[in-house]
Amino acid sequence: MSDKNSPFFVGYLSAPQALRTFLMVICVVFVSGLAGLGLALGVAQDDPGDGAFRFDYGRQTVTGVLEMTPYPVVRVTEGNERIADGQTLMLSGQGKNSIMTRASPLEGQLVKVSGVILDRGDLEMLQLRGGRNGLSAVEGTAPQMQTEQLGRWRLAGEICDGKCLAGAMRPGRGIAHKACANLCLLGDIPPVFVTTQPVEGHEFLLITGPEGTALPPSAYHHVAQFISLEGDVERRGDLLVLKMDPATVEVVR
Amino acid sequence: MNEAEAILMGLRVWAMIGAVVAAVFLTVGMDRIDEDAQGAYIFRPLLIPGVLVIWPLVLWRWYVYESGREVWSRRYAPPRRAHFAVGLILPVGIAVIILTGLVLRQTWPADIAPVQLSTAQEVSQ
Amino acid sequence: MSVKYIPVQWNNNKYIYDVVMLAGVALFLYVFLYAAPGLLSHERPVNPQVHNARAFGACAFVMLTVILCIGPLARLDQRFLPLLYNRRHFGVMTVFVAITHASYILNWYFAFSSSDKFEALLFANTSYAQLGGFPFEVFGIFALTVLVILAATSHDFWMKFLTPPVWKRIHYLIYPAYLSVVAHVSLGILQDQQNHVFTVIFIGGAVAVGVLHLMAALHERRADAAIAARAAAWVDICDVSEMSDGFAKIRLLPSGERVAVYLNDGTLSAISNACAHQNGPLGEGRIIDCLVTCPWHGFQYDVTSGRSPAPFTEKVPTYNLRLDGTRVQVDPAANPPGTYVEPVAVPGHAQQEAPA
Repeated sequence: MSDKNSPFFVGYLSAPQALRTFLMVICVVFVSGLAGLGLALGVAQDDPGDGAFRFDYGRQTVTGVLEMTPYPVVRVTEGNERIADGQTLMLSGQGKNSIMTRASPLEGQLVKVSGVILDRGDLEMLQLRGGRNGLSAVEGTAPQMQTEQLGRWRLAGEICDGKCLAGAMRPGRGIAHKACANLCLLGDIPPVFVTTQPVEGHEFLLITGPEGTALPPSAYHHVAQFISLEGDVERRGDLLVLKMDPATVEVVR
Repeated sequence: MNEAEAILMGLRVWAMIGAVVAAVFLTVGMDRIDEDAQGAYIFRPLLIPGVLVIWPLVLWRWYVYESGREVWSRRYAPPRRAHFAVGLILPVGIAVIILTGLVLRQTWPADIAPVQLSTAQEVSQ
Repeated sequence: MSVKYIPVQWNNNKYIYDVVMLAGVALFLYVFLYAAPGLLSHERPVNPQVHNARAFGACAFVMLTVILCIGPLARLDQRFLPLLYNRRHFGVMTVFVAITHASYILNWYFAFSSSDKFEALLFANTSYAQLGGFPFEVFGIFALTVLVILAATSHDFWMKFLTPPVWKRIHYLIYPAYLSVVAHVSLGILQDQQNHVFTVIFIGGAVAVGVLHLMAALHERRADAAIAARAAAWVDICDVSEMSDGFAKIRLLPSGERVAVYLNDGTLSAISNACAHQNGPLGEGRIIDCLVTCPWHGFQYDVTSGRSPAPFTEKVPTYNLRLDGTRVQVDPAANPPGTYVEPVAVPGHAQQEAPA
């Protein structure tokens, strides 16, 4: 309650002398405190990883065999100085848009793909140009491609969308990014499983549903969580594909 | 229409009704119920967002004034007792939510190694 | 104070308040946006859109935390009341910062798909049945909605139109909104963050808000117990010798209302403790130039009639009172706002000319 000795502040009158030092100190603490918090929070940001769009490489155009895992990949048969023959590139459209309608009719055929590379370690994805400029059939017979079965595995790690993870966004994984990842996956961007330790030398595996189906809806609930799961692994060129068994997913405690 | 579309449609309808209420209230209504507003026009656009978001309350208050149901004593009965509830709920709620967040936090399970459960031959059989 | 409404009422203290507030906010954003990146040793930088979203999100959290600390601080120590005076502008600024945060997120994480980004925000993550990976965005949406409602109803017109108690109840939404912000952060970025400077600042801020509110609530409860009056036809307030000129004694009446009894120039008058503007505690103010002055926003009332001086039109209820020997007593039934009550002279108390 108010008493005679305490200063009384009225908003439209000048501040009482006895309060001025106190208020001055508060102003200084407030302004410098906010600046300090801005700095502390600004530099507390974690490293988002080294994934990136490689516009510096320029447009990449290679030829290969299109395979649907069901997510489209191209097994390169005629590469260039950056992309070697025998490499396997995951494919995505612009933004979060599906290329399924473009890719499906060309499954198993020899195609020319053109676009910009995203890379992060041994994870590589090609973002196709629009329409036939990005993906078109080429003359010639598609050579037979080997797919090597590597058996059933239990792995621990995280389901991500391959595009953001590869550098379309930094950061491109984690819980704060989960909704974005889901939106990419709904747009048929190839999902990627990041393993805790390399499998046959690979840290990133393209992940699909069982028996060559798309990622099952139940898996969306576990995107960005650290989980363990089982599935069959196969090698397509330099890319491992994990066909997950949805019943085996467990959240790691 | 999916749920997301329905929610957004609901919001658009809410705002459209709010716009109609704002148009009527800010031009006709407020002069009838608040003498301080008579002859004051420049501040009125500032009230548009308020009417858009709480238009049902605006209609209810307007009705209370117009119908003479305003009870003056209610104007001087601040909900001060709620301070005490807030003083308890806020710290408890903050503690529970943050602890939940901290308990949920996962550590990257770097120690879990991949295990091959069966070889290719077994799979293909 | 109203006479005729105008968009924003300014005075020197408000200018100073806003300059200091804006300087703090601008410095926070400048340092986060432009100084921090140079100090980060990341191989590749965080995307500018995410960096901006984080800067504005963190800034909104810090602003909201500071705003919520002001109320309990002022209840615990009256020297903090000047921070309350123009808190409205601080709050409105926070909404703009929070909207900026939301739009960076919306135009980045929820853009680039074939769906409408607002729809995408609602359907991209539907893991409502689990806490890990819960769509924490909904907590942000709720908090932002509340902030928008509060800012949109912050003009003085709304207080008068809705009545201060209704307005106050709406603005109590800030508490669920703050809890929602804490949940937004706790189930969102806190799950990913590896640098725990962030964790410490976040928890420190939220805990400060919680603890200060608890302390203020306990303080208020003790104060209420001290001023509670027994039910009676005439409620005993205090001995007249306990009163000092220009100041009030507050009593909590059995009805739950509070009365402020003022000694003004040797005479006693009683008015409601609730200011007509925002229901501020009139009894915690004092008499300036013969007018009771509210400690929150300086609204003034003639203590005998409960009326603001012309041209202002605010009114508060008055109470009848009497002297029983040296005991000051109040009739607990309030008179309608603006009712003149003849002040009760205190015998033997020298009545002086009010200072010019």
